[in-house]
Amino acid sequence: MGHTATGKRTAVAARIAALAVALMLLVPTSAFALTTNKATARPNEDGGSSVIGGLPTRLTWEGSVEDGEEVTEVTLTLPEGSSFDGSTTKVTVLEGLSRASIDSEVAASGSMLTVSFAEPATSGLLLRLEVEGMHFPDDGGDVVVSGTYVNQAGTQTLTDSKPIKTIANTSLQKMIASLDANPVVAAWNSNPFLGMFFKPQLLVTAFSTLVPGWLLCLVIVVVAYPFAIILGLIFALMKISKSRLLRAIAILYINILRGTPLFLQIYIMFFGLPMMNINIDNNVLGVIVIAINASAYLAEIFRAGIQSIPQGQYEAASSLGMSYFQTMFDIILPQTIRRVIPTVTSDFITSYKDTSLLSSVGVMELMMFAKNLTSVSGNMTPYVAAAIFYLIVTLPLIKAVGIVEERIANSERGGGPRPKDKGAKDMSVAEAEAKLSELAVHASALDDEHAFVPSLSPMNASFGTEV
Amino acid sequence: MLGRKHEGHIKVDVPPAMDANEAARIAYDQDISLSRHHFVEGEHPVVRIEHLMKTFDGHTQVLRDVNLNVWNGEIVVVLGPSGSGKSTMLRCINLLETPTAGHILIDDDEITGKSAKEVNFIRRDLGMVFQSFNLFPHLTALENVMIGQTKVLKKGKEEARAEAVKQLEAVGLGDRIDYKPPQLSGGQQQRVAIARAVAMHPKVLLFDEPTSALDPELVRDVLAVMRDLALNGDMTMIVVTHEMGFARDVGDRVVFMEGGVVVEQGLPEEVFDHPKNERTAQFLGSIK
Repeated sequence: MGHTATGKRTAVAARIAALAVALMLLVPTSAFALTTNKATARPNEDGGSSVIGGLPTRLTWEGSVEDGEEVTEVTLTLPEGSSFDGSTTKVTVLEGLSRASIDSEVAASGSMLTVSFAEPATSGLLLRLEVEGMHFPDDGGDVVVSGTYVNQAGTQTLTDSKPIKTIANTSLQKMIASLDANPVVAAWNSNPFLGMFFKPQLLVTAFSTLVPGWLLCLVIVVVAYPFAIILGLIFALMKISKSRLLRAIAILYINILRGTPLFLQIYIMFFGLPMMNINIDNNVLGVIVIAINASAYLAEIFRAGIQSIPQGQYEAASSLGMSYFQTMFDIILPQTIRRVIPTVTSDFITSYKDTSLLSSVGVMELMMFAKNLTSVSGNMTPYVAAAIFYLIVTLPLIKAVGIVEERIANSERGGGPRPKDKGAKDMSVAEAEAKLSELAVHASALDDEHAFVPSLSPMNASFGTEV
Repeated sequence: MLGRKHEGHIKVDVPPAMDANEAARIAYDQDISLSRHHFVEGEHPVVRIEHLMKTFDGHTQVLRDVNLNVWNGEIVVVLGPSGSGKSTMLRCINLLETPTAGHILIDDDEITGKSAKEVNFIRRDLGMVFQSFNLFPHLTALENVMIGQTKVLKKGKEEARAEAVKQLEAVGLGDRIDYKPPQLSGGQQQRVAIARAVAMHPKVLLFDEPTSALDPELVRDVLAVMRDLALNGDMTMIVVTHEMGFARDVGDRVVFMEGGVVVEQGLPEEVFDHPKNERTAQFLGSIK
């Protein structure tokens, strides 16, 4: 049995050898193989273990020469978009653990690197090419090192290396790299204050890494706020209700929440609920705490707003036969909402800033990210970046509050745009001015109803005053 | 308990409301010589006030014993010095003030002592024009006139709109329907307020010093609207005012109040030219 098998195998091997020789005469084949052992790249991510495209790294390629081979040249082909500086390539030939001294010459052209040996590298030798200043493609992805080599039989194809995983080079990475290289930045950072609070590289890093935390802050407060408004409205209506019980509940709710720190409320909710085996997702719980806390403040804002509406409005609605709820929802609340928009916006700003307290219980919001980045970098700049993130939202809102307040005050004085006069549309400026001056002459003589000139119309002094 | 705590100190002892027919007969006999109203045999007054009392804070007695009948289509002008209780009486009629005691009947239906829901229903029939206009500032003139119709009378939008436009045109504000109250003058606002009340087609229109908050030159337009309403419609109006000219020209009857009671009432020319009561004479003298 064994004999027969051996005989068969010999016969097959002979046939293959014959075929191989025949083929070798026609085309280069890989009958001998310079084995690619590995191809790796040194991580070049700041504080990470990834290989980023577009940034300098070191490519290490190793291959071992097989039996009977005499390798005189190795050409590595890198993917399109790679680049390197051939002059900094280190070639090492190892024989076992010791170096074999074979002179070599390195030539780079495009994405091909060719190493030619002065004397052939023979079997058993390990070839190691270390390419410094290697830049993989910006887009990242799997980098496969392929190539060819030349042995005594001619040019052979190298087996492909295992892919090297690279990540895309973002513009951020490029920016940091260029900042690192910039002498002005270096000078800036050498100032202890600027370097500690405004380090450009960290600002850039923080702006990208803090974004998820910032978004979470926004999501928490934006989701919490509608609930806070509804709750606040309910408690405001309870506080002004005729029922003593409802009033008492509302007062208790509002005073306890306004009379204790939000920080304490967060601790009670985040640590108290799990102890009662109520487990709610941190972010959801954050929304709940912020909503409940804000609702107490909003309740007071709404209550004050509702009570600022003159009694005459209730009486007018009542005299039409409107019910309590019709009066509230059609007459009082629409006016209240207009009046409280600035105050509510201010409260929204407060709630948005208050989300920072959630970092103390592990909600991954803006402060948490800033804290983490600071503890990694030992630099205060991430906190400055966080401040900027808060301000991006708060400053426009503060501005908006001012504009809205002015507009409300103006419209209560009777200012603001008038409805288009249907008869007087498409009047030219000259015509309009002529008409206006004509009206102005008449306005003082006639009653103001027929000649309506905004600047001359008597100010509405009696609206809103209660006698 | 809670609502009554301010009113508990006064001993209130008022007879029950009179039988409708008997009350109507007595009122007819009494008022036939006091009013320009064209009385019809067997007619019942649309508003009947009997022994109306109102006390604030348990001791300030504003209305002592008011008795008054108002007939369908009649224009009653209520005069009196400030503090005489005329505004309080008016506010009691549409229950903006809860009477401490006494009876108010609209078309012989008692309206005092009703639930909030019934009160809202009663108020549909009692339009009110306030001294300080009390327009809804977030709504346009048109919407101010529409809202009662749509929310309370449950009219359709188009129907309410048509009615509102009609009433605003009637008060001379057809070109101001899309203006908001702060953009209107006081006189215009008060005319919108009148349109708002009239659009509900109430049985009685109550005017609480409608021109007192206005500049003199704006008073004229509001009075013109009220005069138009009084003379060209069949609206029943109770007008509390200090406008003597209006009272004399437009009023079917002038009622003079003092110290929480009706001191004198009668035909305008009688009350103005030959006041029987000393206080009336004094007051009218001081006004002239």
